Amino acid sequence: MTAPAAPVTRAITAPAPADSQPPLRRRRKPSLHGTLSKVIIALIVIVQVYPLAWLFITSLRTEHDFATGDPFALPTSLTWENYARAFETGNLGMNILNSFIVTMGANFLIVLLGMMAAYALQVLGFRFSKFVRGLFLIGIIVPVQIALVPLFIDYASINLLDTYPSMIIPLAGFALPMSIYLFCSFFEYIPRETYEAASLDGAGPYRIFGLITLPLSVNTVVTVVLVNSIFIWNDFIFANTFVLSEGLKTIPLGLQNYIGAMGKTDWTATFAAVCVTITPLLLVFLVLNKAMIQGLESGASKG
Amino acid sequence: MLPNRSRLSVLVFLLPPLLLYGVAVLFPIMQSLFLSFFSWNGISDMEFVGLANYVRMLTGDDIFWRSFFNALGYLAICLVLQLGGALLVASLLTSMRRGRELIKTLYLLPAVISTVAIAFLFVRIYSIEPVGLLNQLLHWIGLGALERPWLSDIHTVLAAVSAPEGWRFTGLYMLIIYAALLSVPQELEEAARLDGASRWQLFTKIRFPHIMPVWITTTIMATTYGLRGFDIPYLMTNGGPGQSSELLTTYMYKTAFTSTDFGYASTIAVFIVVECLVAVGLILFMLKRKADA
Repeated sequence: MTAPAAPVTRAITAPAPADSQPPLRRRRKPSLHGTLSKVIIALIVIVQVYPLAWLFITSLRTEHDFATGDPFALPTSLTWENYARAFETGNLGMNILNSFIVTMGANFLIVLLGMMAAYALQVLGFRFSKFVRGLFLIGIIVPVQIALVPLFIDYASINLLDTYPSMIIPLAGFALPMSIYLFCSFFEYIPRETYEAASLDGAGPYRIFGLITLPLSVNTVVTVVLVNSIFIWNDFIFANTFVLSEGLKTIPLGLQNYIGAMGKTDWTATFAAVCVTITPLLLVFLVLNKAMIQGLESGASKG
Repeated sequence: MLPNRSRLSVLVFLLPPLLLYGVAVLFPIMQSLFLSFFSWNGISDMEFVGLANYVRMLTGDDIFWRSFFNALGYLAICLVLQLGGALLVASLLTSMRRGRELIKTLYLLPAVISTVAIAFLFVRIYSIEPVGLLNQLLHWIGLGALERPWLSDIHTVLAAVSAPEGWRFTGLYMLIIYAALLSVPQELEEAARLDGASRWQLFTKIRFPHIMPVWITTTIMATTYGLRGFDIPYLMTNGGPGQSSELLTTYMYKTAFTSTDFGYASTIAVFIVVECLVAVGLILFMLKRKADA
C-alpha cells in the first residue's frame, strides 16, 4: 500500500517549497518517478534481505521468546546460548573444514584444467577444436541429476563412495565447461604478437603457458574461483548422494542433523548453526563482492 | 595457432580436462542412457527390458505425469520471480543516481546462502504454529482469512516450494540484465526522448530490443536451472503432502535411492535431459521466429 501513496502525498506538498526555490521545480517531475522507483526498490530489497536479518535475530532469541512471541518483534533479551547448543549438537567445525577441503579441491581442478583446455582450444588450436567445444557445451545444458545414478554405481564398484573425491569429481566436472568458456574469452584478448615474439625467442608451448598465459590470467582465476565457490560450498545433491559417514559431511549435510534429531527441532540452535556456517562465505562475499559481481556479470552475459 | 606447437603439446593440455569431463559428465550420460533400457535394483543381475521403462513412464505412471506438470508449475513461478523481478529491479536501478552498488550487493545476498539454510528459513516463514512471518504479515494487512499452513496445504505447497528458488537467484539475473541495460547507447535514448517517447515506449522500443541477446541467455539459464531444481522441494516437503510438490527431479531421486530402481530412475533422468534440450530449442526457435516476423 505504501507504493502508490508516496507520490500522492508528494504531489500535494511539493508546490509550497517549489515557489520559493525555482530550481527545484524543474526537477520535480523526474523525482516523482524517482521516488516511486526508490520505494519499489526499497520494498524488494527488504524482501531479499529481511529474511536473512530475521534469521540472525532469531539465533539470538531465547527459546521461550521464539515459541510464543510475535515473529517480527525484536527479542526481549539476547542470548548466545543457542550458539553454545549449536556447537554441542553438531560437528560444525568439522563440517566447515570438510566444505573447505571440497571447495579447495574442486576449485584447484576447475582452474587448472579449465585453463589448460582453454589454452589448447584458443591458443594452440587444432583441427577438431570446434567439436571439442561443442562437447563441453553439453555440460552447461545437461542437469547434474543425470550423473547421480551412474556415478553412484561406478563409485560403489571402485570403492570411491564416501570419500572427498566422490564429491570433488562431479562438482569440478560440471563446473569445468563454464570455466573453460571464461578462460577462452579471456585468452582472446591476449595479443597474438606476444606469442609470436615469445616463439621467435625460442619458447615452446609449455614455457609460453607458464611464463605468459598463466601470469596474465590472475584476474580471471579470481573470478572463476569466486563464482564456483558459491555453488560448491553450498552443494547439497552430490554430498547427500555420495557421503554417508559423519566425518566427511559438508556444511549442508551437517545442518540437516539439526532437524528432528530429538523428535522436536531446536529452531533457535538450528538458526545459530546456520549463522555460523553462512559466515565464512558471507565474509568473502562482502569483502570481494565487486570482483564477484563482475565475474557473475561477465560469466553469464557472454554465455 | 602457435607456430612452435606440436601435436603432443595439444594432447598434453587437452587430455587431462577431457579425462575429468569424460569421467564426471560424458560417461555418466551414456551410462544413464544405457541403464534406461534395463531393470536393475543394484544387487541382482541386470535384465534387459528394451523400451519397457519408457512405455511405463509415458503411459502407465500417474506420478510421473503429476511430477512433470508440477515441474512446469515450479518452472513458471521461478521464471516470473527471477526474470520478472530481475528486469524490474534492473530497470529501476538504472534511473538511480546513488547506492547502486549497495543495492546490487544486498539483492544478491540470498544467492550466497546454502539451500539447506534457505529451506529451514522458509519452513519457519510459512509455519502457522508458532506463527511464521508470512501468516503474521497477512494477519496485519487484514488478510487473516488467507492464513494457512502453506506447506501442508495441497493447493499452496507447490507455489510455496517454488518461491524460495525464485527468491534465491533473482539477484544473479538482475546483475546480468543490469549490465546489459548499462550498455544501451545513451545517444539512442536521448534521441528517442527528444522525439517525445514515453518511459514505456523507451523501454519497449529501445532498451528491451537492445538487451535481447542477453535476455535470451538469461532465459535459457533460468529455464535449465528451473528444470533441474531439486534441493529446496526435496528438503522442505520431500514431494509431499502426497505428490503435490513432487518434481521430476525429486521423483527420480527417490526412485533411484529409496526404491533402488536404477533402471527406471535412469529413464526419468534421460527424460529430464531431453526436456532441458527441448526447452532450450523451443526458446531459441520462438525467439528466432519473433525476430523474423
